[in-house]
Amino acid sequence: MAEKKKGRLTKVLDYLKHDDPFSKGVAFCPGCGLELLLRFIPRVLGNDIVITGTPSCSAPVLLGQNNQSWHTLSYFGTLMTGAAANATGLVRYYRKAGIDNTVVCFNGDGTANDIGFGNLSGAAERNEPFIYICYDNEGYMNTGIQKSGTTPFGATTTTTPYGTVSRGKNLRRMNLGLKMAMNKIPYTATATLSDLDDLARKLLKAKEAKERGFCFLHVFAPCPTGWGADPADTIEICRQAVKTNYFPLWEAENGRIRMTKTVKKPKPVNTYTKLMKKFNHMTEADHVILQDDVDYEYCLLGGLSVLEAECQLPVSVKDQGETS
Amino acid sequence: MNTTTAPKRIKVITGNAAAAIAAKLARPDVVAAYPITPQTEVIEQISTFHASGEMDCELITVEGENSAMNAVMAASLAGGRVFTASSSWGLVFMYDAVLAVAGARAPVVMVNVNRETPGIIAVSSGQQDMISTRDAGWIFLIAEDCQEVLDLVLQAYRLAEDYDIQLPVMVHYDGFFLSYLSEGVDIPEQETVDRFLSVLKDQPKRTVLTPGRKLGVGSHGILGGYMELRHKHVTAMERSKAKFEEIDREFDGIFGRTYGGQVEEYRTDDADMVLVGSGSMCGTIKSVIDDQREKGVRIGLVKIRMYRPFPHQALVAALKGKKAIGVVDRSLAFGFDGGPIYTELKAFETRLDGAQLISFIDGIANTDITKTNVEKMIRMTGDLADGKDVPEVTWVSYPDANTKGEK
Amino acid sequence: MSSNRYFKHQGPWSDAADPLMCTDTGDWRTKRPVVDKEKCIFCGFCAIYCPIGVMVMQGDTHFEADLDFCKGCGICAKECPKGAIIMISEGEFVS
Ligand SMILES: Cc1ncc(C[n+]2csc(CCOP(=O)(O)OP(=O)(O)O)c2C)c(N)n1
Ligand code: SF4
Ligand code: SF4
Ligand code: SF4
Repeated sequence: MAEKKKGRLTKVLDYLKHDDPFSKGVAFCPGCGLELLLRFIPRVLGNDIVITGTPSCSAPVLLGQNNQSWHTLSYFGTLMTGAAANATGLVRYYRKAGIDNTVVCFNGDGTANDIGFGNLSGAAERNEPFIYICYDNEGYMNTGIQKSGTTPFGATTTTTPYGTVSRGKNLRRMNLGLKMAMNKIPYTATATLSDLDDLARKLLKAKEAKERGFCFLHVFAPCPTGWGADPADTIEICRQAVKTNYFPLWEAENGRIRMTKTVKKPKPVNTYTKLMKKFNHMTEADHVILQDDVDYEYCLLGGLSVLEAECQLPVSVKDQGETS
Repeated sequence: MNTTTAPKRIKVITGNAAAAIAAKLARPDVVAAYPITPQTEVIEQISTFHASGEMDCELITVEGENSAMNAVMAASLAGGRVFTASSSWGLVFMYDAVLAVAGARAPVVMVNVNRETPGIIAVSSGQQDMISTRDAGWIFLIAEDCQEVLDLVLQAYRLAEDYDIQLPVMVHYDGFFLSYLSEGVDIPEQETVDRFLSVLKDQPKRTVLTPGRKLGVGSHGILGGYMELRHKHVTAMERSKAKFEEIDREFDGIFGRTYGGQVEEYRTDDADMVLVGSGSMCGTIKSVIDDQREKGVRIGLVKIRMYRPFPHQALVAALKGKKAIGVVDRSLAFGFDGGPIYTELKAFETRLDGAQLISFIDGIANTDITKTNVEKMIRMTGDLADGKDVPEVTWVSYPDANTKGEK
Repeated sequence: MSSNRYFKHQGPWSDAADPLMCTDTGDWRTKRPVVDKEKCIFCGFCAIYCPIGVMVMQGDTHFEADLDFCKGCGICAKECPKGAIIMISEGEFVS
C-alpha cells in the first residue's frame, strides 16, 4: 500500500482539553452554529463552569426536563429578562462564600441585545466577574425567526417579511460588541466558528480576565434554518462574514480595541449574502446600503483602535489590570 | 401583643429602619435592591451599614428591580441567604422573577412597602401591589407596626429557609404610614437573633447550585413533572401555616413577644361583631374597639398576619358564630362585589355558622383610616348584626361610590 | 408530603448524575458522510467543525462519523481540505 501523505492535526484540537459534557443526541437543527459553539465552550473552559441559559434555541438543550438533563454542567435556567442579573447573583454569592467559579452567562442576541440589555449593561457597569457570551444568530429563532436588534439591513424574518411595501428589515443592525467594549470592561471580543483557534484563545483569555471583572464575547453563529442556508455552509458563512468585514474579529482589553484578524483585501458583502436566502430579494441598491454600513462600522472600528492607542487610559480603568 | 420583661433596647425608628435593621441582624450573604418611594430608606440604611462595615454582605446596587430579584434568586439558589426590598411599580417590574423565585423554591426574603400601583404621580398608600401579586406562590406576611416589621423579617427567614418549607417570603407593611412613622422599637441583640436563626443550620442542607456539581435548576417540569412541582408547592404552602405558629411561639420564648401566628385576635372572645383587617389600620381599629367596649359594644378585631397561604382555617375558627363581620380592604377586586380579602373570606361563609359579611374599602390613595371611619364601620357592622339593611360594599372615604345605581 | 415521582428534590432540579437524555439524531439524516481513507490526511478539520463532534478519530489514520448521531449536515464534507468526504444519499444504503 502506498505511503499516505499525512498532514498535521489542527492545533484547535489542542484547545479541547476537556470532555464534551453534552449528550450526543440533542435537538439542534443539522448544521446549527449554536450547537458547535455550545459544545466547544466547556471543552475549552472545563466542565466545572456554571452556565446560565434563557428561553431561546439553546434552552431545550441547556435546560433539563423534569429530573433529567442533556449535559453534566451545573446550570441555571432562567428568564430572558434577567440573565446577567442571575449570573451576578451567582458570582456574588460564590465570592462571599469563597467558592472558585467560572460563570458563563450564555444568551442569544434576543436576550443580550434586546430584552435583557438593561441588566447586561448594569453588570458591565458594576464590572461583575463573569463571562457573558452572546451567540448571535441575528434574530429570535426559537419563536420562529423574528427580527432582533442585530438582524442586518435587508434581511427577511417573519416580522420583517419581503412584500410590496417592505424589502426585509429596513433598519441597521446594532453593533453589540462595540457597545460593550465602550464600557471599558476588562475584556470584550468578537469571534466566530470558522476561526476556532481564535475563539478558543479568546475564551481562555476571558477566563483569566474575569478575575478582574466583566467579560463579553460576541460570537457570530449562523442559523441555517432561519437564514435559509445550506447546513453544510455554516462554517463557510462564518468565513465569508470575516472576509467581507461583515463580522470583523477583534478584542478589547479595558476597551482598547485590537484586530485579531485583518483582512487584506475585503470581499464585497454579496459574497457573504449570496450564501443564504434571507437576502435573496435584495437589489443592487439594497446591497449598496448594506455595504455602506459594513464599511462604516469597520472604518469606525479601525478609527477607534487608533484613537484608543493615542488616548491615555484613565487610572480607574488601568487599575483593572491586564491579562498576562 | 403580649410582652414579657426581657431586657429592652428601645429606639425610636421608622418602619423602614426597622426593616433594614432586621435585615442586618439576619446577616444575609447577598442584598440587591433598587430605590422607590416609600421603600428607599431601607436600601439607604443598608448601604450605610455596608459602607461602615457593620453589614458584611455582597451589596448589589442594581440598575432596576427586575435585576434585584433575579440577582437574589440566583444567590439564593447558589446557597446564600438573601434580602431585597421594593414597593408597587418596583414589585411589578420584578414580577417575572418573583414568579420564577417561587417556582424555583428559592428561600428569598424581601419586604414590600405597600403602595398603590396605578397612578405614577399618585404616590400613595394601599395594598394593591400585594393583591396584584398574591398568587405568585410566595408566603405573604403583613406587619401592623414598626416592631412587627422587625420581628416579621426575622421570622420570615426561619420560615423561608426551613427545610420543610423552602419558599420565598414577602413581608408587607403600609407605605407612608409605617414606612415613615417613627415609634419605639425593641432592637434585639445580635446574639439573640443568631440564636433564633441558628436552628436553620441544624437541618438537612437544601439543594444548591455549586460549580462542578452535576445539577441544574430552573427548567421546571413538564406534564406530570410540572404538576408534581406545583402540588409540592401547594403542600409546602399549607405546611407553612402551622410552621409559622410554631415559629411565633419560639420567638416568644426568645424575644418575649408573640402575635398569635396566622391571625391575631383582639377582644374577640365575647364579641358579636368583628372587623377583619390587616396592616397599620389595626392599631387604629384596636383603639376604637377599646373606646367602644367602654360603651358596651361587643366588637373585636381579627388581624390577618399571614395572607398567603390564605389562613382560612384560622379565620374560620376566629370568626365562627359571630353575628356580623366587616372586612376592611385597602385594595380592589374587579368584577367582585367587595374588596379582595372580603371576596376570599366570602368563600368560607357557609362555615361561619350564619355570620354575615360586609365589605369596606378604605385607606387607598393616602386616605387615612381614621377613628371616625372605623366608628362608621363598626356602626354599620352593628346594623348588619341587628338585621338592618346595609349595603354590601362601602367606600368609607368616598361617599360618591355609595350612591345607588353607581355601585 | 407529595410524591417524588419526577423530581428527587423539592424544587425544579435536574440531576445529571442520572443517565443523560439522548435523541436518536442519526435518524434525521438524509445523507451520510463517507470518508475515503486513502484521501484523508488526518488533519482533523472535519472533527473540529462537526457541530455534534461525532467525527471520531480512527487510530492515527483517519476520521469516521458516528452514524448513530450524525445529522448529515454536510459540514465535514464541505470543510475537508482534501475532498475526502462525500455525502451519499441514505437511500443508497437501504438494502
Ligand atoms: C419575557 C419573554 N418574552 C418572550 C419570550 C418568548 N421567547 C422565547 S425564545 C425567544 C427568542 C429568543 O431569541 P434569542 O435570545 O436571540 O435566542 P435564539 O432563539 O435566537 O436562539 C422569545 C422571544 C420569553 N420566553 N420571555
Ligand atoms: S433554528 Fe437555528 S439556531 Fe435554532 S436550533 Fe435551528 S439552526 Fe440552531
Ligand atoms: S477533514 Fe478530510 S482530510 Fe482532514 S481528517 Fe477529515 S476527512 Fe481527513
Ligand atoms: S455530516 Fe454533519 S453531523 Fe455528520 S459528521 Fe459531518 S459534520 Fe458531523
